[in-house]
Amino acid sequence: MSTIIRIAFRNVIRHKRRALITAITMMVGIGFFIALDSLYNGLDRLSVDDVINFRDSSVKIFSAAYDADRESYPLDKGIPDTTAVGAWLEQDKRVVAVTPRTQFLAQAGNNRDSVYVIGNVVDPVSDAKVFLLKNALIGGYFTQRAGSDRQVIVGKDLATKLRLSVGDTVVLAASTRYEAQNADDFTIVGLLSTSDPALNKSSVFITYDAANDFLDLGGLVTEMDVRLEPRASLPATLADSTAVAAATKAAFPTLAPYSFQDLNKGILTVLKQKRAWGYVMMLFLLLIAAVGIVNTVLMSVYERIREVGVLKALGFRGREIVRMFILEGFFVGCLGSLLGTALGALINCYTIYVGFSLAKFGDVGGGFVFWGTLRGEWNPGSIIFAVIFGMVVAMVAAYIPARSAARMTATTALRFV
Amino acid sequence: MTVGETILKLEAVRKSYVKAQRSVEALRGIDLTIQKGEFLAIVGPSGSGKTTLLNIVGCLDLPTSGSVLYDGRELGRMTETELSAYRKENISFVFQSYNLIPVLTVQENVELPMVIERRFSRGEMRSKALEIIRAVGLDQMADRYPRELSGGQEQRVAIARALVKNPIVVLADEPTANLDSHTAEEIMSLMEAMNRQRQTTFIFSTHDAMVQKHARRVIVLHDGLVSEDRKEAA
Repeated sequence: MSTIIRIAFRNVIRHKRRALITAITMMVGIGFFIALDSLYNGLDRLSVDDVINFRDSSVKIFSAAYDADRESYPLDKGIPDTTAVGAWLEQDKRVVAVTPRTQFLAQAGNNRDSVYVIGNVVDPVSDAKVFLLKNALIGGYFTQRAGSDRQVIVGKDLATKLRLSVGDTVVLAASTRYEAQNADDFTIVGLLSTSDPALNKSSVFITYDAANDFLDLGGLVTEMDVRLEPRASLPATLADSTAVAAATKAAFPTLAPYSFQDLNKGILTVLKQKRAWGYVMMLFLLLIAAVGIVNTVLMSVYERIREVGVLKALGFRGREIVRMFILEGFFVGCLGSLLGTALGALINCYTIYVGFSLAKFGDVGGGFVFWGTLRGEWNPGSIIFAVIFGMVVAMVAAYIPARSAARMTATTALRFV
Repeated sequence: MTVGETILKLEAVRKSYVKAQRSVEALRGIDLTIQKGEFLAIVGPSGSGKTTLLNIVGCLDLPTSGSVLYDGRELGRMTETELSAYRKENISFVFQSYNLIPVLTVQENVELPMVIERRFSRGEMRSKALEIIRAVGLDQMADRYPRELSGGQEQRVAIARALVKNPIVVLADEPTANLDSHTAEEIMSLMEAMNRQRQTTFIFSTHDAMVQKHARRVIVLHDGLVSEDRKEAA
């Protein structure tokens, strides 16, 4: 066996130019596969992070009573003891911050037209630790002057529809906690421009100070939102979300905690389908590389058929000859996979640690806004897959012509020109 | 087995094959008996059947009809595996274009038949290879690769490779065809010396009259038949 390994290895070295061309073909295929996979992961992460940062947080908690009637945004079924729940959550090392929110149905108008909206009552200080509304604002955030003028942040598209801008007044009308109708003027301090069209088109944000008066809330909190420590990979992020939601349910059975997966099954399904198509495209990339490998290995085998004849005349068995060529394919595959992994890792280093700013894409229409930085993500599974794929393709590519060469009689192989 | 004992017997050997959709009869009934220690040349014009005869004698090919007996064993009755094993143990080849394995050194090329046989330890293979390399006068070149050798040196290595496992017979197809006359003379002298020292049977094909004169027996083939079988003066 050692002689077969020696012959195979030295043949790779002897035909180093051809081996290098094959390895470079593999390097490009595998390298771009790894890099594209990383970017796909990054895109998935960006989508999930946007939902976490602007809409759902990492874990969302309702009271069980509110949860049963959640679609109608009731203002009489809040979380009884938010302080106790908040204190318990903050003991968990994974929890970064907790904030209360209260959602209500309202109409926003400009004295001529009005639009149904979902109102969000927030505590500006703690909310900014859980959500990143501040990062997606045109204009400013709430100015903290307790009990002072009524301020509101509205979605950018909503403001456009009502022909309003920062500094203008919007009229909000809603039922109070005790089902009395109330309407009041709010000053727009900021316009929200996120990647979530629903937030941009039909959301308003006011403070608890304003809402306690406007809606007679009396401090009612209908949901608590939890921000968890950022994790390097999406699966780890989702796992943390599930674990914290489950622990909260165990500690507070009367609450209804929701993990990211619970709230966003649809998004995760779409991401999964998108990923499947992405893999199909990336596999095409690898197959193109595979064609290059097959071609060069075929040349290598056919050039050396006389050598096969000599080995057979000396007493080598067919399977030993096949093994020798497969080993050559393996060595070239190792080299190509190694180079491909290095190239992929290099591109990943840039995409993961520097990233691509999406700000320049801006508003692409249809309410979709690109913002932030697209970063890749390490995916050891796909790196291992690409490396194994490269080696297997190189070995299979070597096997097919080697088998036909090994089946030749020594005399035919020796006469082969 | 002693010198003069019959090692190979061909009886009414015929070989035909299809070439360009035409049946060609390369051998048309060869009867031949070869004794141990012979130094035998097969001569004849191109297409007379020299290479086909060598391939059959070398168990690389089987006759269409007739029988080939080595030590009284009929080759046609052996399975492919038995034939391969017999060839591995008893027959060696020297090719016209040397056919050394380019990625192995002189010593590794010479060790190759023993590696395939799997009968020898690493040390035994090494010492046997060095001994035969010394015998063919290349002891200073054991670590060189074929590309670093001249044509004559390569053919010496091929002869060493053929002799290292002490075969019953060495078959050489036009062993000097690619060499200049001086080197060809050296190679023939070497083969002759090896034949005398080791009593190994050498059967070689040639066109060359100078090469022919080294042979102690000459078989002339013509259109697939033995037209002359003569003993030369030693």
